[in-house]
Amino acid sequence: MSDNTLYPGLNLGDSHGEAHVGAETTVFGFWVFVMSDLIIFGILFAAYASYLDPLGLAGAPGPKDLFDIRSVAIQTGLLLLGGTAYGGVSLSVKYNCSRARVLGWLAVCAALGAGFLFFEIKDFVSQAGEGGVPQASGWLSSYWALVGLHGVHVSSGIVWIIAMMGQIVWRGIDDAVKIRLSMLGVFWHFLDLVWIGIFSFVFLVPLA
Amino acid sequence: MTKSNTDMLDPDDGASHELRNYAIGFGVSLLLTVGAFAALLSHLPTVWKVSAICIAALLQVMTHARNFLHLSLSGRQSREDLLLVMFSTILLAIMAGGTYFIMADLDGRMHDMRDTQDMEGMPAGG
Repeated sequence: MSDNTLYPGLNLGDSHGEAHVGAETTVFGFWVFVMSDLIIFGILFAAYASYLDPLGLAGAPGPKDLFDIRSVAIQTGLLLLGGTAYGGVSLSVKYNCSRARVLGWLAVCAALGAGFLFFEIKDFVSQAGEGGVPQASGWLSSYWALVGLHGVHVSSGIVWIIAMMGQIVWRGIDDAVKIRLSMLGVFWHFLDLVWIGIFSFVFLVPLA
Repeated sequence: MTKSNTDMLDPDDGASHELRNYAIGFGVSLLLTVGAFAALLSHLPTVWKVSAICIAALLQVMTHARNFLHLSLSGRQSREDLLLVMFSTILLAIMAGGTYFIMADLDGRMHDMRDTQDMEGMPAGG
């Protein structure tokens, strides 16, 4: 069987030789980590849904008092653009584009992720100001845990992107860097995927 | 895409195909996102709104998995990844779905109990 049947898109392609073969086990191992992360997020979703009743709200401010749907829409747009922009990184690496182009796409991803975090933190601050602090009710605890954990993931994704930019500058795009960029891609797209669940089930469904 | 000789692989051909793949993924995701927000702002009954949001979310997750994460049943590696993802999803469905079912059931029973108590404790004529 030809090695061309590895990842159709997030792979590196035959022309990358060793890195292409090495990516198979390493990136699969990273997928296993991402799936354990998915379980954590899923359980937090279940907790959030369970607390979404009068008992869980416990008289504290609820979804209709706290959620700003416009800000959620802006965050969703920024994260979707940021996720798609990583396609630029994957393809630039795969088709041996210049180092500057890979760095540029990484910078776009980091900037869009930072924009997302800006609006998310702004929301958190205003919600806390309106009495929507984590200790106010079970529902608010689960809300802060779930959305906050996603925010922490995006922050670490940005730190990872900056670290990769440093590695590209200092080491160049060698085999190890290519494999790490593939894993970062899985991570970054995964965060976008979790956000679909968050904006749909955490923000939109309770307001419907 | 199945040529084994790298010299014969036309990079531009592959690149434009994959670019289109990302563009489709972005376009479909954008449509589904706008659809979900539009459903919320519409004047439909709540049940319809919630179902529309859930269906849009499910479709968008599938789009992301296919177009951005490149999971598919064809291709050795992407198939293994997809099987891992599906297994994790089954585990998650049991744990998260089970948690929600148990808690919602408990909640329903507690409401029943509270309502009964309220009625019993209510003064006559009050």
